Amino acid sequence: MKLISFKQSLVAFGVLLTLGACDTDEKLEVKGDGVVYEENFYRNETEAYSGLVAAYDKLGKFAGAMENAPLLFLNSASDDFFAGGGGPDDQPGLQVASNYTISPGNIPPNIWADYYKGVARCNIMLAKLPAIPMDAAKKTRFTAEVKALRAYYYFDLVRMFKNIPLILAPITLKEEIPLIEQAKPQDVYAQIEKDLNEAITDLPMTLPSAELGRFTKGAATALLGKVYLYDNKKAEAAAELAKVNGTTPGQPSSYGYNLMPKFSDLWNHANKFNTESIFEIAYTDKSNADWGNFERGDDEGNVAAQLMGIRDYTRTKLGLTALLPDYINGWGFMVVTNDLRNTLLGDPRYASTIYDAAAARGTDNKDPNGLITYTDSYNETGYHFIKYAAVNSDIKSSNPFLNFGINTYVIRLADTYLLEAEALGGTGARAQALLDAVRLRAGVLPVPVSLDAIYAERRLELAGEGHRWFDLVRTGQAAAKLAFKGFTPGKNEAFPIPYSEFNNTKMVQNPNYN
Amino acid sequence: MKLTKLLMFCISSLLFSVIAIAQDVTVNGTINDESGLPVPGATISVKGTNKATASDFDGKFQISVPSNGTLTVTFVGYVTVQEAVNGRTKLDIKLRPESQNLNEVVVVGYGTQKKSVVTGSISSVKAKDLESLPITRVEQALQGRVSGVSIAANAGQPGSASTIRIRGFTTLNNNDPLWVVDGVIVDNGGIGYLNQSDIESIEVLKDGASGAIYGSRAAAGVILVTTKKGKAGKISVSYTGYAGTSQAAKKIDLLDASQYVTILNEAYVNGGKPAPFAPTTDKGTNWQDVIFNDHAQRYSHELSFSGGNDTSTFYMSFGLTDQEGIITTDISNYNRKNIRLNSNHKLGKYIKIGQTLGYSNEKTIGIGNTNDEFGGPLSSAINLDPLTPVLVGPEAAVAGSPYVNNNALRDPNGNYYGISTNVTQETSNPLAYTQTRLGNNDFSENFVGNIFIEAEILPGLKFRSTAGAKLAYYGSDNFTPVYYLNGATKKDVNELFRSYKKSYSWNWENTLNYAKKFGDHNFSVLVGKGTYVDNITSGNDITYRGVPATTHDDASFNVDIPIADKIANAYNAQALEHRVESLFGRLNYDYKEKYIFTGIIRRDGSTRFGPNHKYGTFPSVSLGWVPSKEGFWKENDVVGNLKIRGGYGVTGNDSSPDFLYISTVGIQRNYTIGGNIANGQSTNAIANPDLKWEETKQANIGFETTLFRDFNLTVDLFNKKTEGILMPVPVPGYVGATGKTYANLADMENKGIDVELGYRKKIGALNLSVNGNFSYIKNEITYLDKGTNFLAGDETVQSSAYEINRTQVGQAYNSFYGFKTNGIFQTQADVDNYKNAAGKVIQPGAKPGDFRWQDLDGDGSIGSNDRTFLGTSLPKFTYGFTLNLDYKGFDMLVFGQGAGGNMIYQGLRRLDITNANYQTEVLGRWTGPGSTNSYPRVTTNDTNKNFTNPSDFNLEKGDFFRFKTIQLGYSFPKEWIESISLQKVRLYVTGENLWTITKYTGYDPEIGGPTTAGMNNVQGVDRGYYPQAKSYMLGVNLQF
Repeated sequence: MKLISFKQSLVAFGVLLTLGACDTDEKLEVKGDGVVYEENFYRNETEAYSGLVAAYDKLGKFAGAMENAPLLFLNSASDDFFAGGGGPDDQPGLQVASNYTISPGNIPPNIWADYYKGVARCNIMLAKLPAIPMDAAKKTRFTAEVKALRAYYYFDLVRMFKNIPLILAPITLKEEIPLIEQAKPQDVYAQIEKDLNEAITDLPMTLPSAELGRFTKGAATALLGKVYLYDNKKAEAAAELAKVNGTTPGQPSSYGYNLMPKFSDLWNHANKFNTESIFEIAYTDKSNADWGNFERGDDEGNVAAQLMGIRDYTRTKLGLTALLPDYINGWGFMVVTNDLRNTLLGDPRYASTIYDAAAARGTDNKDPNGLITYTDSYNETGYHFIKYAAVNSDIKSSNPFLNFGINTYVIRLADTYLLEAEALGGTGARAQALLDAVRLRAGVLPVPVSLDAIYAERRLELAGEGHRWFDLVRTGQAAAKLAFKGFTPGKNEAFPIPYSEFNNTKMVQNPNYN
Repeated sequence: MKLTKLLMFCISSLLFSVIAIAQDVTVNGTINDESGLPVPGATISVKGTNKATASDFDGKFQISVPSNGTLTVTFVGYVTVQEAVNGRTKLDIKLRPESQNLNEVVVVGYGTQKKSVVTGSISSVKAKDLESLPITRVEQALQGRVSGVSIAANAGQPGSASTIRIRGFTTLNNNDPLWVVDGVIVDNGGIGYLNQSDIESIEVLKDGASGAIYGSRAAAGVILVTTKKGKAGKISVSYTGYAGTSQAAKKIDLLDASQYVTILNEAYVNGGKPAPFAPTTDKGTNWQDVIFNDHAQRYSHELSFSGGNDTSTFYMSFGLTDQEGIITTDISNYNRKNIRLNSNHKLGKYIKIGQTLGYSNEKTIGIGNTNDEFGGPLSSAINLDPLTPVLVGPEAAVAGSPYVNNNALRDPNGNYYGISTNVTQETSNPLAYTQTRLGNNDFSENFVGNIFIEAEILPGLKFRSTAGAKLAYYGSDNFTPVYYLNGATKKDVNELFRSYKKSYSWNWENTLNYAKKFGDHNFSVLVGKGTYVDNITSGNDITYRGVPATTHDDASFNVDIPIADKIANAYNAQALEHRVESLFGRLNYDYKEKYIFTGIIRRDGSTRFGPNHKYGTFPSVSLGWVPSKEGFWKENDVVGNLKIRGGYGVTGNDSSPDFLYISTVGIQRNYTIGGNIANGQSTNAIANPDLKWEETKQANIGFETTLFRDFNLTVDLFNKKTEGILMPVPVPGYVGATGKTYANLADMENKGIDVELGYRKKIGALNLSVNGNFSYIKNEITYLDKGTNFLAGDETVQSSAYEINRTQVGQAYNSFYGFKTNGIFQTQADVDNYKNAAGKVIQPGAKPGDFRWQDLDGDGSIGSNDRTFLGTSLPKFTYGFTLNLDYKGFDMLVFGQGAGGNMIYQGLRRLDITNANYQTEVLGRWTGPGSTNSYPRVTTNDTNKNFTNPSDFNLEKGDFFRFKTIQLGYSFPKEWIESISLQKVRLYVTGENLWTITKYTGYDPEIGGPTTAGMNNVQGVDRGYYPQAKSYMLGVNLQF
């Protein structure tokens, strides 16, 4: 009998276990470790700030990538540089930009997509900020920064791709995606101008050192001036640019901007956020980036500096004695064209811009009188670009390629001087004074102001900083100046939209690309 | 077979020797099998009594029996014989083999079933099929042995996993089958802990009706592994061991130095540049000779003990396997140690308890990149120029040479490892590369076990509770010295790295099983509840930079270095656990084993879905009919034991990432503000609250029969349709999402046939058996979400301008996609005359010697719209055969296996390195009008993208047949060994991968899944695949 009761209790136990399965819903709630739901985020100032940082993150792509770094891509497309590198298929995105075989299939898709990631992070912030309980003044400033960032991203997009979707609110349903259409360029410009005008009001004039890198009133104003110029609103452009340039070119403006005394000081990488720097993209050698997190978002190094370095650069004994710079072994991209080299020859700015590698090497790597040895890049001319050149003491991390803390200028005062002079039609005393100030600082004699003089000056002053291709297209010189690279007028004024954007969408490709 | 007989004999003698007491007539008899050989260990019982005995080694027995009584003779695998004594005292009884497998028991999930009443499509591999085969990982046991299962090695690196597909690709997600080892669910990658000789049987549940008992996790098929249990009786000790040597089965033909110079100079001249290399007649360096080891060693020892008594049985074993890789052996090695303890016990009459526990310790030394064009010794050996010497003297360190770099590596004699100045980037001297990884290893320790209690509550009603768990510790231990391999591959600060991870999963199942027989009606009912929790993972890693050491052995964490050089990371799995809660039930019914019914229903809830679709229900039904048991069936020698069966079942899949149904915020979107890194966060991809279970509906119809008594035939036809495949929506860049949005986007269908045919014959003393299997499968995408015309693949090869695969309705999943060549322009006139309908010259920039691309859209130019489908990456058919022969003491095994109908993307050459070496096929390049119409000119300026456009030029047929194993053995006669108390001594030689028949030009046509995590299911892309070794081994089996 005892056995039976044991059996019965087992039956009861079994049935209980087997059927007692009703209350499992709670167990089936997934528990996350550090996983934050959108509905539980954007609740306070700290979270708003991290959302703001995410919106800034994509600025870093400018030089924080390889073939999809706009700095490298735009330089490659200009008449100042060949892509270079190890061979004709090394970083193919740069090669096809350089030799104008660029097509929807070979443009690096992230050139496009990274900007839109930036846009999306601005859009989510603009949607969330109004409801976040936080200090009102900070909220106003965050909002202004996000609008300025969105304007910055769209400005690059519209200049590079011309016909782009203008997305101003977060996309929350997948069903919305295929319905999106491209906007007219003038509508994009109108939105950029609106965003910037709204931002300028609420941005701070100056930043404490702990905030350097964020948008200021001056940066947004300079950007707006530039946008107006591209939008062919010359008077508005001149007015905005005049604000940052100040009343007397060469003297500090009311925003505190002033040309650096020496051109070469601009390229001392320790001079971050100097008086001439209006908007600057910040990098650091502290993020320990490695290939595992390369381009993930927590890699904060300037990678373009590695790509632009001379291949296998080594100083010989003579070179060491001659105290030649201790450049890193780079990957040989951004080979200076003979055209740029010849244009700059004799200009004091040459020494900060171009390194005569071939001359230092001699006849070849075995030349007993050679100061250096190095390996030729693809398209080697013997001239290499050094404004952002890294030296071995810049290597601070065990991955020597991805962690250069060298900042890049996006807008600096010499640029806005020349833009204002251009907006003024390239005539008049003010335009002359602006041009003179740039030339004076460079250490060259004044020339009479004219649009051509301004364009020529821009090339000398701003070589390799990512402006040249935009300048050529804006001023209508692209067809003539880029013919030697295979530029096709009526086609290459805009880059092709990456073909992956056409999969199941309403997108229309730019003219003459298939 | 012999072994089984011996074992049966031991057990039977133990059980019955006491019972045979003389009475009435004493009958002396002999039991022989159909060929006249004695059958030891057969049970001879007196009908209607509990009196029984067993036949001895010579098949003889003696039993006392009433002179009018009847003897019943039973032996596993043979038809039971009833023999009336009729006063005789001498009986010769002949046993006829039961048409095979009729009494075989099949593991079906939460229980076993007699094979005769199984209605699903289940294939088995038994221990005896695997004995003394050189199997390092358990999945290799299935390769080529069961129909409908395709298995391809992921790499020849020892210890590498294989890609297993049961009846093709079921989904666009995780297609790995569910592994259940003694009731414990073990993830596919973690199955390597099993020791081959511990396996009793492996069952593959292929159809939906069988798999449905595992519901939401069974869509890609289920593999049930049962480990060995002890048997009551004398303790049995057995040892199996082998040692052998491996080498590359094939080397590819690369250009030697003189050919290299010729081709490269020609390419430069064609590219409009001066020829850079001075002509030479040297052969130069063959880098393959540098990396391949023709004498890689391997060995294995396995020792097991089993035994027990009426209440307790045990099985325990120890295994040790060590295998050196054939490529850069110093950094390619696998070592595994196993311990297993299984036991079963009876607690009184009604309660059984038992446990299984396996422990493994694995250490893998890997070459780093495999099947990756960007670095790794194999890719380097293929691409390095033959001009660079392996070693150069110390005098090479002159100004201007790469050897002046302080970190250039040297051998013990002070010579530098040659550094190529022609081929750089990730490609480097493999010997130097080896020096940078010496001693680095990955380790893992696995504990997998379970414990069960089974109680017979009422006659026929059993309650069983099983708790199982898997605990794994794994990580890696690496030291990277400073090195300079070339300008792009260097390390200026050394690094000592250690990672240590833990993962844990557990499950608990409770079942009630009631079996009852009402006359000829057999019922059994199973109900159960299960909880399955996995993905409990955590870990950390530590990096010390700049430690005072130059080798792995000297490097230590016990050093003082600046705090800034100590980097630590820790993490947990994002979802702390993935949990599935299940209720399931099964009803089996048969009438005289003639009409058979099985019904299964399972309901699963998963943490991976939102409140809208948390639960899924997975039913199945299957029916069987055995016409050969019908009254109208006439015994015949042509068709016997015919069973016709069919079933339909629904299974599911929740193997998508977690948190997809709700919008989440991600980290690591940082920016440098004020010189410091500010941490940024933003929303991830668009969430999809309507995400639901992916369902696989599979219909299966088949039959099993014997033909002409000696043949066994099983044929299954199936149609497997997966609906609502969970997959990332291909979101255009303008959405700006970080991460992927998932939806139930696609449907896919697999139709096919599985055939297994066996033949077994005894001809005198010769035993012969041949088993073959063949499967054909057709995969097709049948539906994609509205507005989605196709899914662009995510696989690219090197600098190819386009992705190489695409998924589209009407095509096989992830088919190769690219341009079609149409010969080569022989003359400028050919170029000028190649026009579209409107008269536009299609390739105005092309030169003679360039490919003529087909202008498929007819627009007069070559662009992305001119791409098309170029073939499937999935084998359409797989097959295998096993031949077993034994004659007296000799035995022989021949096992071969093949696949075909698929294409392989041959991407061995680095296209972005101008000076990379070529395979000798380039010698047949275009050199002038009429020279060739299939291999384009070489040029450094390939503007026509002859090589970089993904095209049919890059694709090759993947068909192959391989003699996988050939084994010859000899067992010593028992008279010789009995005196030293041995039961069995067998010596054997084995050859593995001796011969492969294929037209493929790479190393190895057997290419499994991608090795790069995150690459989706694109098989058949050869980026420098670690080929499988050819091995010769000598082995021994001993049994005490």
